[in-house]
Amino acid sequence: MKKNLRNTPDGTRDLLFEECIARREAESTLSDLFLQRGFSEVMTPGMEFYDLFEGGGHPVLPVENMYKLTDGKGRLLVMRPDSTMPIARLTAARLKNAPLPLRLYYMQDVYHLNHGMTGRNDQEFQAGIEVIGAAGERADLEVISLAAESLRRCGVENFRIEIGHVGFFHSLMEELAVDEDTRDEIRTTIETKNYAALGGLLDGLPASEAAAAIRRLPRLFGGEEVLEAAAPLCRGEQTRKSLEYLAQLYKKLCGLGLGDAVMIDLGLVHRNEYYTGVIFRGYVEGSGDTVISGGRYDTLLSRFGMDLPATGFGVNVDALTKVLLDGGRVDPPMPPEILVHAQKGYETAALQKVNELCGEGILCEFSVFETLEQAQAYAEKRCISQVFSVGREIDVYEI
Amino acid sequence: MKPIRIALTKGRLEKDTVALFDQMGMDTAAVKEKGRKLILPVALPEEMSGCGRTVEVVLAKAADVITYVEHGVCDLGVVGKDTIAEYGGSFYEVLDLGFGRCRFALAAPKDKDFFSGYAVKTVASKYPNVSRAYFGGKGMDVRIIKIEGSVELAPLLGLADGIVDIVETGSTLKENGLRVVEDVMPISARLIVNMACMKLRKAELEQLIAQMEQTLEKRRVSQ
Repeated sequence: MKKNLRNTPDGTRDLLFEECIARREAESTLSDLFLQRGFSEVMTPGMEFYDLFEGGGHPVLPVENMYKLTDGKGRLLVMRPDSTMPIARLTAARLKNAPLPLRLYYMQDVYHLNHGMTGRNDQEFQAGIEVIGAAGERADLEVISLAAESLRRCGVENFRIEIGHVGFFHSLMEELAVDEDTRDEIRTTIETKNYAALGGLLDGLPASEAAAAIRRLPRLFGGEEVLEAAAPLCRGEQTRKSLEYLAQLYKKLCGLGLGDAVMIDLGLVHRNEYYTGVIFRGYVEGSGDTVISGGRYDTLLSRFGMDLPATGFGVNVDALTKVLLDGGRVDPPMPPEILVHAQKGYETAALQKVNELCGEGILCEFSVFETLEQAQAYAEKRCISQVFSVGREIDVYEI
Repeated sequence: MKPIRIALTKGRLEKDTVALFDQMGMDTAAVKEKGRKLILPVALPEEMSGCGRTVEVVLAKAADVITYVEHGVCDLGVVGKDTIAEYGGSFYEVLDLGFGRCRFALAAPKDKDFFSGYAVKTVASKYPNVSRAYFGGKGMDVRIIKIEGSVELAPLLGLADGIVDIVETGSTLKENGLRVVEDVMPISARLIVNMACMKLRKAELEQLIAQMEQTLEKRRVSQ
């Protein structure tokens, strides 16, 4: 039975008309911005070997959430679940001798298999950048401010960028000295701001300064006051360094006029194991999704035999265009201004007229109808205001 | 300013949450006399003006509360830990509201030892994910069958060796010749928050959450 003849697979959809306009506008705004800032575009294959994302036991995405297929030799492939890994791969494979830092950008779909009918998209269009071969504050500052600029250029007024530091959590956990399972549990409760469960977990451990600091972690988000509140909790040298680093970065981002948009979340802990330093996320009013996600990943390239620090972010362009569409900030496509009808024997002349009008930048459409009446009736339905009837001369009819 | 929207799980949790709102000085008359309406305004007292003048209460089935909050069409939600454990999702779980208390438990016929022997055990449950996680944690390989209605029937009819279900008093179990073998996890109502909303509407949401927390604390002290 052809029961799937008229629908698309779960989590995918067709884009029509103004949806395409909004998406293309966002795409071109972002690619213009990235090009202006010295980034070069790369495209990676839609499918890759599964091994690339396996991540030494810490896959980018749980394996059951990747779309899998096999190649002709029976090797396991996945539909690209993420763009950072493929870019790390191509850097190691083809850009070994390129001058550093590399500034690369991408605009491509990623695929996530979502189970159940949750209304989530399985295919997501992402635009993003990677700065490879640059450590330190300058690169972090550039990348975070570029993330904010990406949203602003697309016409988003109300957004937040939250910054955090994985080093903060890692060093506190080291001080706490617990096994890996407990560590994972604690991370999950911090990530989900589950105050109650986190309290329960920590109650079962011996009281310590680190435990007290971790207990406060999920609540430590907001503006400058967060830094003050966190300072007395950070006795260890590593945690203090991470905090100082964030404070510096925050101050400089405020200096860029991003004070209202940027906030600190010390409870920001990414599930992605590859992040090593500053991490950040972007939220936009009107979307319940995370629109931007990024951070520093200094050890990832070493998996490919290149020891290079790197940082970057990805924008969920689908979520962004939805906000722009919902806000009525995208006009539907315009109907043509003129419908060009050919009288019998003047078909070529009419087509030449169409070319001529288009050359003048006028939107026009060639009529495929036999009679003028049919052409006029069609023009009315399509909201085309003029019909040109091309014969020995051109007759103009207002609709 | 858009009012804060909070999704409540219809039924008992809804009543308990409304009682909490009343204690916080909110005017919940619209929810109590709701008729068939599903979105209802609740007026906030003067001292909570930082959260706007009203909040909108949305009434939904438990699993839908999670869906609405995950998609950000509701900022907050009140839902049982049972539903969170079964359906998961990404959101902040900021408060244990303390009401709606019960537990997940493994129950089996009282004359049988559930853990004996090496045969693969069959477990019936309305909560297959909770069951799988629980037995996975014990390193036990079991066969799980999803049952929609009264799960107690499955062992009585010989379909399953045991059940994983919500237990309040245990009287249903007793009447059907079952007993609790082990507790799986405690359950109570939770306040969940959409991740983006938490960041975009921080001040308003934090004030509301803090008020709820204080009121719960007052209750705890007076008990």
